[in-house]
Amino acid sequence: MWKSPKAILLAATLIAGAIGGAEAQDIEAGEKVFAKCKACHMVGENAKNRVGPVLNGIVGRAAATIEGFKYSPAMSKAGADGLVWDETSLAGYLHDPKAYLKGNKMAFAGLKKDEDVVNVIAYLASFGADGKPAVPGKQSAAPAPDATQTATAEPAAPSPETTGSVADGERGLGRAATPEEIAAWDTDVRPDGVGLPEGSGTVAHGMEIYDERCATCHGDFGEAVGRWPVLAGGQGTLQAERPEKTIGSYWPYLSTVFDYVHRAMPFGDARSLGNDDVYALTAYLLYLNDIVDDEEFELSKDNFTSIRLPNEENFFDDDREQEPFYADRSEPCMTDCRPGAAAITMHAAVLDVTPEDGGEENASGGGID
Amino acid sequence: MTSNARPGASRRAVLKGGLMGAAALAGGAAASRAAASESVITEIQDWNRYPGDGVDARPYGTPSPFEAHVVRKNVPWLTSDTISSINFTPLHELDGIITPSGLCFERHHSGVAEIDPASHRLMIHGLVEKPLVFTMADLKRFPRENRVYFLECAANTGMEWRGAQLNGCQFTHGMLHCLMYTGVRLKHLLDEAGVKAEGKWLLAEGADASGMSRSIPLDKAMDDCLVAFGMNGEALRPEQGYPIRLVVPGWEGNMWVKWLRRLEIGDQPWQHREETSKYTDLMANGKARRFTFEMDVKSVITNPSPQAPILHGRGPLVLSGLAWSGKGRISRVDVTTDGGRNWTTARLDGPSLPKALHRFYHEFDWDGSELFLQSRAIDEHGFVQPTKDQLRSVRGANSIYHNNGIQTWHVNSDGVIENVEIS
Repeated sequence: MWKSPKAILLAATLIAGAIGGAEAQDIEAGEKVFAKCKACHMVGENAKNRVGPVLNGIVGRAAATIEGFKYSPAMSKAGADGLVWDETSLAGYLHDPKAYLKGNKMAFAGLKKDEDVVNVIAYLASFGADGKPAVPGKQSAAPAPDATQTATAEPAAPSPETTGSVADGERGLGRAATPEEIAAWDTDVRPDGVGLPEGSGTVAHGMEIYDERCATCHGDFGEAVGRWPVLAGGQGTLQAERPEKTIGSYWPYLSTVFDYVHRAMPFGDARSLGNDDVYALTAYLLYLNDIVDDEEFELSKDNFTSIRLPNEENFFDDDREQEPFYADRSEPCMTDCRPGAAAITMHAAVLDVTPEDGGEENASGGGID
Repeated sequence: MTSNARPGASRRAVLKGGLMGAAALAGGAAASRAAASESVITEIQDWNRYPGDGVDARPYGTPSPFEAHVVRKNVPWLTSDTISSINFTPLHELDGIITPSGLCFERHHSGVAEIDPASHRLMIHGLVEKPLVFTMADLKRFPRENRVYFLECAANTGMEWRGAQLNGCQFTHGMLHCLMYTGVRLKHLLDEAGVKAEGKWLLAEGADASGMSRSIPLDKAMDDCLVAFGMNGEALRPEQGYPIRLVVPGWEGNMWVKWLRRLEIGDQPWQHREETSKYTDLMANGKARRFTFEMDVKSVITNPSPQAPILHGRGPLVLSGLAWSGKGRISRVDVTTDGGRNWTTARLDGPSLPKALHRFYHEFDWDGSELFLQSRAIDEHGFVQPTKDQLRSVRGANSIYHNNGIQTWHVNSDGVIENVEIS
């Protein structure tokens, strides 16, 4: 509970002292006190979030509003409920963080000396929100030093639409994603190499991993078992009656191999391969497709984009609307549209591949994926 | 009770039924009105005498046991393992335009992810002002919308490129459903994060073990896409992406990422597996179309059809089917009974919503003669459903995806129906 009467009383006392004499606040002395905070907090122009959030512009800011910092639920709630960091609230908090706001995650016992509290606040107030020296007069956006008023500040978050038309713009919902969280999920790789992690792996190492973890489904040489995907071969078959679409014959970009193996393979144990393993497997798949021929070839972040797959140029963007039956948007024929009676040219029943009819070995192909 | 259950419709039973129906009518229409008394009327039935189950016998209601045959079905030879496979909506057993939640076809690439909504997060990052994380509770504080949309797998009818193969519209056209979704506009979520000017594409990623990912043009994302948590008035079913899925109206089903957990903004497409090695359309000349997102104008007669033969013999017959277009509303459906020589405009019934299924009917008196049934849909922009021959003449037979050709059902004089191609 951050509106503890004891804390307010203490804060009011401190502020009263501060108003009594400017020299009671000593920025230089505050800087020395801040040494205790530096392990976790940064201030200044190049400050970043560390264990604790950046403290630039803290005096006068609503609590729990630094982007990219994962606040405790208690701090987030206090911020949403209207806690603003001014001299009063900061004084209470810094004196005894645990008592002031139960459940917050700052692992600091507190500043026991009142003058340390006053000085460190003065030091923090000397930094603007951009980390540059605060503009005099704008040093603190804090309201008047009336403890009871600041404690009942209006909530900072806007309330969502509930009636009438839907408004555009921000609603203040959600919270900042942390860099660590983004890194955990953002594994995607693009053809230009964006997203490739550090690492490397050889064809020879890739073969070891492949034989152990991939060959069961994809076959010893990428030829596939059953209807699992074929990975290699098929070059020159794209115009054949039965095209074989593999990495070497069809896939346009090598980055797709890396991305997919990393996110979804091995089937049944996805995301269990390290970056070096994925580089090695990708190298081995190049080898199986005759795109590299040296078992010692090492694929790495550095040489990755120099490898191009043979079929890259053979893709074109959707142009279905130019097909004759779509381009010609005339009224369709309604009467006497064809000469004579219809004659059957093909029966599904002859193939007999429908479930429950048996005879599935006759399936003429066609895939779903 | 099970003794009364309808047996699986074997071809033999169908044939018998058709013959009996024809025989019953042979005596003439007037005579058929005279009949012997039926015991289901003259004798007191059990359900008319003894009480049935009380309330709460089925806290979550299930269909009558007499409807036990109305289920999704797999085509086992298509895939190696049901964990990465598909099953099909029983279109021939359904009516109206809304697909019951439990009958919507399933397509999983690594099985059904079971996710506790309390542990689910949606992240937005990349070219945005503020990378954000939303909980389910956060998402439900955005303004909600309820919209009816069809979802069709791009590979629907994909097994039919080389000719008639599967005997039943469940298998030829059943990678299709249409639901009322409840969700929030994707635009509202993206606005919250603030998309930067250089952002042009969106990557949507699922939380399942396949990590399904697709690149979507930002214009589409900002237009009519939803992040949905509801289907048909209740929570999404696990197999449809519980707790949230992306809804990409009119576009191929693969893009409607289930178990949605991440949205990244970028300046170019990612070229992931499902948009390069898959979901690209190989032409006869060996080149391949990519980014064929939109689903074309299409229709199919669901009744009668191979799994739903004509059992009642000659006389009044209700022909029914579905039509849809990824570009908007269906303006007209024509049907033919002679394989396309003469066409009649069918009757559209029920709501006509953009990018939703439309239901059509055509009632006529069947004289017991051979029929070649087809339907042809036309959308509000004037696009006409092509024939399979027209499609093959331009694309060849190896496209797999986007086969919206006109379907032919052959009806013989016994009412038995078969998937055929005709010249």
